[in-house]
Amino acid sequence: MIQAAAADDVFHALSNPTRRRVLERLSVGPATVSELAEPFDMQLPSFVQHLSVLEESRLVKSRKHGRVRTYEIAPERFKVVEDWLAARRRLWEARLDRFDQYVKQLKEEGK
Amino acid sequence: MKTLSQQFTFDPKLDIAFERFVDAPPRLVWEALTKPEHLKEWYMPKAWGRVARAEMDLRPGGIFSIDIAVGDGREVPNLGCVLEAIPMKRLVWTSMLFPGYRPAVFDDIPITAIMTMEAEGSGTRYVFTALHRDESDLEKNTASGWREGTEIALDQLVAHVMTMK
Repeated sequence: MIQAAAADDVFHALSNPTRRRVLERLSVGPATVSELAEPFDMQLPSFVQHLSVLEESRLVKSRKHGRVRTYEIAPERFKVVEDWLAARRRLWEARLDRFDQYVKQLKEEGK
Repeated sequence: MKTLSQQFTFDPKLDIAFERFVDAPPRLVWEALTKPEHLKEWYMPKAWGRVARAEMDLRPGGIFSIDIAVGDGREVPNLGCVLEAIPMKRLVWTSMLFPGYRPAVFDDIPITAIMTMEAEGSGTRYVFTALHRDESDLEKNTASGWREGTEIALDQLVAHVMTMK
């Protein structure tokens, strides 16, 4: 259940274009709040709430040095997404393998 | 039993209270305040945007999350933690905390919101109080249009509850 709740937070965090762009930026390296906000035409409090959603999903971590908060990617959490997609892919691949098997069998029987 | 007035001290320099009389029982006002399908109808001034997503877990520590979509489709989240939920009486949440009481991370203007309702005749006296950290936070929230937006939203709330009767 912990994993399911984590997936809810992570997929919700990823569901927004602003937050995806922040993650893209942070994939290059850590950045401060003002560096992250710069490309967006948005009030700072609104933008900071996006960072809060990312932090709450634990896709990013932040540290405060003096008055400056720096954000960085927390790679471990991305595994929640990878695992979910991998599980779906395994299921479909298994189904396709069985389908393949079935078609071959039909071919054999039709001979 | 403690009364509400003993739970917090309203400071007019830091805080702001909005009050409405709704000609409907507290049960309907509570529904309108807490159910996503109703929040979508009133929480955001209609001329400014709409509610894109709402999630509320009505227990201490539960999630309070309302995403607002503004004109050009941009979404702005509002994320916080429910502190108290007494059906048809009082709902308290804060943006100082993430859901589950996790200390929040922000460089934002946090508020603690206290929503109370009390039966008055055939209707409900509804008060929304927002507590701020300091005078400058209240000033910023007033200048940003938050205060004006809240007034409009509360008028929309009153009108929406009438349609629920």
